[in-house]
Amino acid sequence: MTTLRPFTCDDLFKFNNINLDPLTETYGIPFYLQYLAHWPEYFIVAEAPGGELMGYIMGKAEGSVAREEWHGHVTALSVAPEFRRLGLAAKLMEMLEEISERKGGYFVDLFVRVSNQVAVNMYKRLGYSVYRTVIEYYSASNGEPDEDAYDMRKALSRDTEKKSIVPLPHPVRPEDIE
Amino acid sequence: MAAARGHVQDPNDRRLRPIYDYLDNGNNKMAIQQADKLLKKHKDLHCAKVLKAIGLQRTGKQDEAFTLAQEVATLEPTDDNSLQALTILYREMHRPELVTKLYEAAVKKVPLSEEYHSHLFMAYARVGEYKKMQQAGMALYKIVPKNPYYFWSVMSLVMQAISAQDEKLSQTMFLPLAERMVEKMVKEEKIEAEAEVQLYYMILERLGKCVEALDVIRGPLGEKLTSELQSRETKCMSLYRRLQRWPECNSLAHKLLLKNPDDWQFYPSYFDSLFHLIDQSWSPPEEGEHCSEGSVHHTVAEVASFVEERILGEDGKDSRSLRGPYLARLELMHRLRERGCPEEKLLGDPLELMVQFFGKFGDKPCCITDLKIYLHLLCPEQHVQFVNRLGEAVPLGEQGDEGFAFPEDTKALQRHLCVCQLSRALGLHHALHPDGKLRLIAELKAHYRHGLKFGSDALKTELQFSDMYCLMAAHVYIDLWKETGDENMVWQSLGVLQEGLTASPSNAQFKLLMLLVYCHLGAFEPVVDLYSSLDAKHVQHDTIGFLLTRYAGSLGQFAAASQSCNFSLRFFHSNQKDTSEYIIQAYKYGAFEKIPEFIALRNRLNQSLHFAQVRTERMLLDLFLEADIVLSLEESVKAMSLCPEEDDIPWDTMRDNRDLTVFTCWDPKDRQLTEEHRRRSLEEESVWLRLRSLTLRLLASLASPGHTPPQTPAQQNSEKANENGVADEPPILGVLLSQLHRTLQTAAQMAEKRTQYPLLGPPATRLASALSSGSCQCQAAALQLSVHLQDLESAGLDESSELQTQICNGFQSLVVQLREILNKCKGDLLEMKGSKLKTRPSLLENLIFFVETVCIVLWTASHCAKILRPLKTSLQKKKKKKKDVNTALPAVVCGFQELTGSLQDLLTQALEYIKGQETGITALQLAGLSLEGNTQDEESFAKAAMDKVQSSYLRSLQEAGDLLKKRAETIKNLKI
Repeated sequence: MTTLRPFTCDDLFKFNNINLDPLTETYGIPFYLQYLAHWPEYFIVAEAPGGELMGYIMGKAEGSVAREEWHGHVTALSVAPEFRRLGLAAKLMEMLEEISERKGGYFVDLFVRVSNQVAVNMYKRLGYSVYRTVIEYYSASNGEPDEDAYDMRKALSRDTEKKSIVPLPHPVRPEDIE
Repeated sequence: MAAARGHVQDPNDRRLRPIYDYLDNGNNKMAIQQADKLLKKHKDLHCAKVLKAIGLQRTGKQDEAFTLAQEVATLEPTDDNSLQALTILYREMHRPELVTKLYEAAVKKVPLSEEYHSHLFMAYARVGEYKKMQQAGMALYKIVPKNPYYFWSVMSLVMQAISAQDEKLSQTMFLPLAERMVEKMVKEEKIEAEAEVQLYYMILERLGKCVEALDVIRGPLGEKLTSELQSRETKCMSLYRRLQRWPECNSLAHKLLLKNPDDWQFYPSYFDSLFHLIDQSWSPPEEGEHCSEGSVHHTVAEVASFVEERILGEDGKDSRSLRGPYLARLELMHRLRERGCPEEKLLGDPLELMVQFFGKFGDKPCCITDLKIYLHLLCPEQHVQFVNRLGEAVPLGEQGDEGFAFPEDTKALQRHLCVCQLSRALGLHHALHPDGKLRLIAELKAHYRHGLKFGSDALKTELQFSDMYCLMAAHVYIDLWKETGDENMVWQSLGVLQEGLTASPSNAQFKLLMLLVYCHLGAFEPVVDLYSSLDAKHVQHDTIGFLLTRYAGSLGQFAAASQSCNFSLRFFHSNQKDTSEYIIQAYKYGAFEKIPEFIALRNRLNQSLHFAQVRTERMLLDLFLEADIVLSLEESVKAMSLCPEEDDIPWDTMRDNRDLTVFTCWDPKDRQLTEEHRRRSLEEESVWLRLRSLTLRLLASLASPGHTPPQTPAQQNSEKANENGVADEPPILGVLLSQLHRTLQTAAQMAEKRTQYPLLGPPATRLASALSSGSCQCQAAALQLSVHLQDLESAGLDESSELQTQICNGFQSLVVQLREILNKCKGDLLEMKGSKLKTRPSLLENLIFFVETVCIVLWTASHCAKILRPLKTSLQKKKKKKKDVNTALPAVVCGFQELTGSLQDLLTQALEYIKGQETGITALQLAGLSLEGNTQDEESFAKAAMDKVQSSYLRSLQEAGDLLKKRAETIKNLKI
């Protein structure tokens, strides 16, 4: 039982139950506004009948059409602990994929900490595969080493031959990704 | 580097490049030098001047930077480099209005430049000049007929409508004009983009033209609305509701629910429409479609069977069942009962339905959240039966030695946990006797520890499956603490939470609750680390920052208090600049509906209660901590550009952005946070803030230089009249004082009400304790004295004996009041009674009230000294002339000397008390305490909490003592 609706600025004041999770980043206001101004349709929040926010997805469309790199990107996806195990993340991903399909994207991609096995496995279940590893993509703040990211992708229907998801043989550095 | 690019380039670009690079790298000094070098050779290279100005601005030389920039600006430059550099500079100077001037001049000189016109539009957007934006948009469209420019202009009209004070003007002028502008494009078939249709819809909706809006959405233009999922459907639904077209509303709702029976947003429309149709005795037409959306369900039976069908659909599915239809049935039952419809029975017995729901979804963590809102469907007699029925459906293993049976997998654990949560929500925990509560705690702890085995390989970023048992055990301990006053309970609640954190180091709920409990115990030191490990950032400073700022200062941890205020202030100050940038982006990308939203966000942050509080408290703290009494109060006030006349708090539009539901809570309804609590809390916060803000402004008025030269009131007035051209303005001091007294009255009435908030709800303000300590009254009295001194200043010492007596009485009364506050601090902050450790945080709070009040009394004393000194000198001169042999000091001077002497005594006493407390607390042998009936581990966790409180108290005492010592030093400067 979920209402899926566009994320609005007022939701920023209510998302603590989602964002107090250690792996969910709370960004500065400009970051959210940039997404809301540019890709409002890609920022969706799920609300419970009692009004609690359950989770949200924030994404964008980017990449060159000419080089067949036009795609949907998942910037953030998070579900509050008490609303996990309902398939909500999958539902939100499905919506983002649907929007990307409509925009004529070739694939959807996302970055995830290599240590975040729960998430990696979930994305695999949803049809994503590791396209490449990005070395030290996540910078650590508390003296721990920087962490690598997987760049995971799922081809959309426009990429009929699934060219976009053929894994790269070598890891790349953050400065090499676009 | 530039040369290496090898293509033809403006030579100026090449010359400027190194300066840009220096600026980019933060090397401002080199940038300035390089610019100077370049300017020697090329005097007219304006951009170099601007870049130099940027360097100056960034090295703190704002005035020089501004002068330099204006030199260039008056030349009305039209080269890209200068314009862009000036734009950057003005933005950094927070002077966006100057950018508009810049481009106004540029488009005059280059009237056909699309680029400059578009910069001009954006410059207007940054400062919210909607009318000029409208014109600039049209000017752009005339030069380059691109649709976006046209619609920028339309949107600017909408913004004029939104911001207009006069709603009539919006409805009769701005919006109709915007509508006509769009209609023109529609007629000419020039509508291209989705954003344009969105904007059209926005206009029609704001005009209340729902029929027209519906036609647009359902017609060919509506087909452009493709980005957002279900955009057309949700818009149609909201229009049907506004138009009260219940048949269409009903029909569309059930069509959409057929497609996605889990989509909650359409159930309320579906049910609402049903009841409206019943109320209207609607019946379908004899033949043909029920309505333009299709068939209508207009009887309870139809709707009930529709919901039942959806449930059957879910039951029969191989994949995961969706909760929607099951909850919809409960929702329908709830609504039928509200209306007193006997058809409620059609749906079954609520207890059975909830048992069924639990059977299906009891293993989901959200089961409690789902069922919580329907528990009122059960009658109180059913509560125990309900919980027992659910208990039967929880598979547990064999009973162990302790008499507890445990779940064998995580699903069973979740079910068992849910039963516990529901019991608590039904009030069954609260109804237990203390012994029963202790048994319950034992059971919860056993389940918690047993459940850890399911998460033995969990990462430290993951939660444990059984964490919520631990949290609930802590809640029950706190219940016991509040109920019995047994402080061992609170130590154990902290202990069990600390234990929980060792297995689940990132559990935010553990941290939040510990943080709150420590604050209630008067210990702020451990809170700093707990809060920082929550990693709260940005907007979270506004929503949960109050947890820090409410307690840090009031518990005497001044350094931490300053820091907490700074975190929040940094966030708020960046807001203004940040939002305007994205308003501009929203124009660029045609996200028109987001523009009013961004502006509302900016206002919401600017009008935040927390923002006003941290602004005020930060300045008060600075004064308490830094301002010396002789000179630096004036300096500090000046440095803060604090002006007594100016009230910058938006009292009437204040927004309470606190997240008061951040704590997980399963309390029964009668113990939960209500709207009334929220309202009262905001009211109380506002009154307290008003007191603090008035105190601050009164202090500022003491320090404002207007008071120093002795003048007659007549002189003062005539001078003022000359300066400001306004005569007879009431003196600010008096105005503020009477506001302060009025607010104190309101505060006293409010404190009498003694609103009790739920423990997990909003914290009470310091108001009630400030009043009962007497500090508010004493501060007001001290500030009031300054008025009498002003009178004395004009009357002189010769013929003012009555006034002098009055002032002397005031001095004596201040001493009495201060002594009373100090007496309210006395007692042991932390003491061991038998085997129990007892805290008395209210003593600490009172001590801090004493400290704050002493600071204020000392400032007023120093203000007195400043007034009395010249009066005394002139009196002595007169006496010398007259060869007067009478050497007796004027009464007020004697009274003042007595005051300083007594203040000295009071400070000495306070310092002695602090010292005594420090010695006493340090000497406590906490290791000797024993917590009955606890394991060694439990005991060590609880003792760790005690150690933290002990250490925190010592720190608070030290900070308070240091501040008082600093103040005691300054008393000797009060000699006259």
